[in-house]
Amino acid sequence: MSIQTESICSHCGISFRWKAIESPTDDGSCVRFCCRGCQGAWQLICGAGLDSFYQRGDRQSPTVAESLEQTVFNEADLARHLVPEGDLCRLDILVAGITCPSCVWLLERIIAGVPGVEHVSLSYSGGIASLRFDPRLVAPLEIFHVISRLGYTPRPFSPEQSDLDARRERDDLLIRFGTALFLTMQLMAYSYALYAGYFQGMAPGMKQFLQYVSLAVTTPVVFYSGWPFLSGAWRSLKTRAPGMDLLITVGSLSAWIYSLWALFAGLETYFESAAMIVTFVLIGRLLELSVRRQAMSGIGALYASAPRRATVVGEGGSRQVDVDSVRPGDLLLVRQGECFPVDCLVVEGETEVDQSLATGESLPVLLQVGDQARSGCINVAAPVTVQALRPAGQSYLMRVASLVRMAQAGKPRLQLLADKISGWFVPAVILLALMVGFGRFLLAGEGAGAAVMSALAVILIACPCAMGLAVPAAVLAACSRAASLGIILRSGDVIERLATIRIALLDKTGTLTRGQPQVMGIETCGGYSEAELIQAAATVEQPAAHPLAGAIVRHAAGQGSLPETCREFRNIPGRGISGYLPDGRLVLCGSELFLSESGIVLEELPDPDNAAATAVLVAIGGRLAGRYLLVDGVRNGAVEMVAGLAAARIEVRLVSGDHQATVERIAAEIGVGSASGGMTPDQKLLYVKSLQGQGCRVLMAGDGVNDAPALAAATVSCSLTGSSDIALENADVIITGDDLTRIVTAWRISRATVRIIKQNLAWAFLYNLIGIPIAMSGHLTPVYAAVAMTASSLLVSLNSLRLMRFK
Amino acid sequence: MDETLIILIILSLCLGAACWLVFIWAVKKGQFEDVEKPKHRMLDDE
Repeated sequence: MSIQTESICSHCGISFRWKAIESPTDDGSCVRFCCRGCQGAWQLICGAGLDSFYQRGDRQSPTVAESLEQTVFNEADLARHLVPEGDLCRLDILVAGITCPSCVWLLERIIAGVPGVEHVSLSYSGGIASLRFDPRLVAPLEIFHVISRLGYTPRPFSPEQSDLDARRERDDLLIRFGTALFLTMQLMAYSYALYAGYFQGMAPGMKQFLQYVSLAVTTPVVFYSGWPFLSGAWRSLKTRAPGMDLLITVGSLSAWIYSLWALFAGLETYFESAAMIVTFVLIGRLLELSVRRQAMSGIGALYASAPRRATVVGEGGSRQVDVDSVRPGDLLLVRQGECFPVDCLVVEGETEVDQSLATGESLPVLLQVGDQARSGCINVAAPVTVQALRPAGQSYLMRVASLVRMAQAGKPRLQLLADKISGWFVPAVILLALMVGFGRFLLAGEGAGAAVMSALAVILIACPCAMGLAVPAAVLAACSRAASLGIILRSGDVIERLATIRIALLDKTGTLTRGQPQVMGIETCGGYSEAELIQAAATVEQPAAHPLAGAIVRHAAGQGSLPETCREFRNIPGRGISGYLPDGRLVLCGSELFLSESGIVLEELPDPDNAAATAVLVAIGGRLAGRYLLVDGVRNGAVEMVAGLAAARIEVRLVSGDHQATVERIAAEIGVGSASGGMTPDQKLLYVKSLQGQGCRVLMAGDGVNDAPALAAATVSCSLTGSSDIALENADVIITGDDLTRIVTAWRISRATVRIIKQNLAWAFLYNLIGIPIAMSGHLTPVYAAVAMTASSLLVSLNSLRLMRFK
Repeated sequence: MDETLIILIILSLCLGAACWLVFIWAVKKGQFEDVEKPKHRMLDDE
């Protein structure tokens, strides 16, 4: 048995103890790599003269993917994503695996070095490389190969129409805001002059000139910059659903009209009030949009990068085709580690499939000739030939996707706090203003003009900036604080919905549990030590793709045991594996049946304490050496999360596609009373809908394809990183990392945010309570109005910033 | 005195308008597209 001295890979930096792959350098020395992939990446980087990559302080090298899935891209596939620009072509590539600014640095330089590439720029936040190249000099496939050789996973990216619309919306809003800001700054200079004039006296001609200039700069702010609010207000009038836009419009328009009249009547004007409302609220809108955009690009980078391809076996050998072109009856080859592209029937070979993402079953299932496999399941044991049963459009995945669309359409919308308040506040203010106007006209016997103006003054003072800022400022602070705590909130209104949750439904596999088994215990027998057993088992299990094998290898690494090279590895689906240690002893790992069939005498091992655990027996050199017990381990913080939710008086229930017994065991372990197993995607969806029918606000947390319809229907949906794409697409809240207590943290942030919003609104009302009587009596001068408005806006913003310190 | 003020106000409006045009040009050119990368760029050697 030869134990290598420890080496450090020159590319990815991991330490390893197997035989290094060596490359000579220019100065005659030698660099060592852990695998061919790392060596290839190093040669590529140094060949491009970018050796300084390895000296960069912030470098985190990507691990080079061993199964190069990207090889299945073909030219025809990529051609659809090309955008011709004159002689050149443009292509956007979503690059997965970017972890640091150095990755961006390296990729930009390496891609720019490919002959034929004219321009490349990579965005750090979204991980999207846009490049222009000459299609006569370089094929897009070559660029893909260059990226994948570096260890990143490229995927063609076509911006969705919705993304383009969002970009246009942001640019439009940015210009409106920039204009408003520039004009409001000018306006403030004139206003200060007018304030000074109010106290010290001012020549009437000069005052009027300044007021005219104020009118000139305010008008575009109200009507151009404020256009989104004006059109929004018009829409809400037509639908008779007063909202925030109406409140802002009423506030700014009343100030503008009043000031216009005051200008000609020779009174004090309130132009700055009209412009400030619009400008402040535009800041809020813009920041809100950028938070949403950031969340979107963060989510985009989480999507798995598997292309939808299938290998069709025909008479002339096998070829790669698009999944959509697979017809029922086609024979397909599904290799170890690949996904079943369509629903199909096994016709040759036997294997085990991991259905955890599709059904929620935690352990792989044995498939033999004549068994059906669902699309989306992963083949973990051996290559099989299958016959397609249905076209891709009718496969299991697609049926789930159509359920998701149905669920989205029927999702109840919650009215947001701000809209709810403006719903009664705007009519109330207008009623009050009318009463003041009529009162003055009829009772006090004032002129009609003066009466209308005092009515307008009431509206103007009742709709302050603080009102418009109360919600966006708090939501913004909460979203950025949540992001730094590892919680991505898809949009601001998620916060308000999250705060009203009464029932939390949790999926088991992949959400509460890791979705992959973990070693729970090891028993030895026959005189073997535990270390010996771990070493032997890890050595033969290393080449296997089975989740149980992965658990045993990870456990060995955790114990500091380093696997050696296994010879003559054999995988017997549904049974176990066999292989030879370097010293020539045969090791068998697998079920009891497998070992007894192989002629191993099974000594009496006591029954495992935990009936739900899976046992893997290990025999070394023809004798039983011990037993591994594995369970699908519960994630960190599951118990704390359930306790936290219970303390918040949120009822927790488990819903899972796994067997009832397994679900109940996990429920008991983490302290959940209600557990339902064996649920199909439609049953989960119906469960959510029936709870909503009883008037409950439901949080659904899940990761799999089978959870997606329920996620789409739930009041708030939550997914974890590593979930299936379809679950991520439907998640309002995304928890990064392995810590489930973040769900409780997200809920607490949402509660704190709603509290802050209510405080902000309460302050704005208090301001009205003081301001309206003064305005009604006609004694409110612009100076005091401006001071009060600025002070209350500042107070609301500072109050919202308290959320940044949330723990 | 009044004339100076009026001239100064008009001048400041012109200056502001020039900045505004530059800003619009910047938005249209996509200068605000990615605000994450440029702040790391200064750490690069070349």
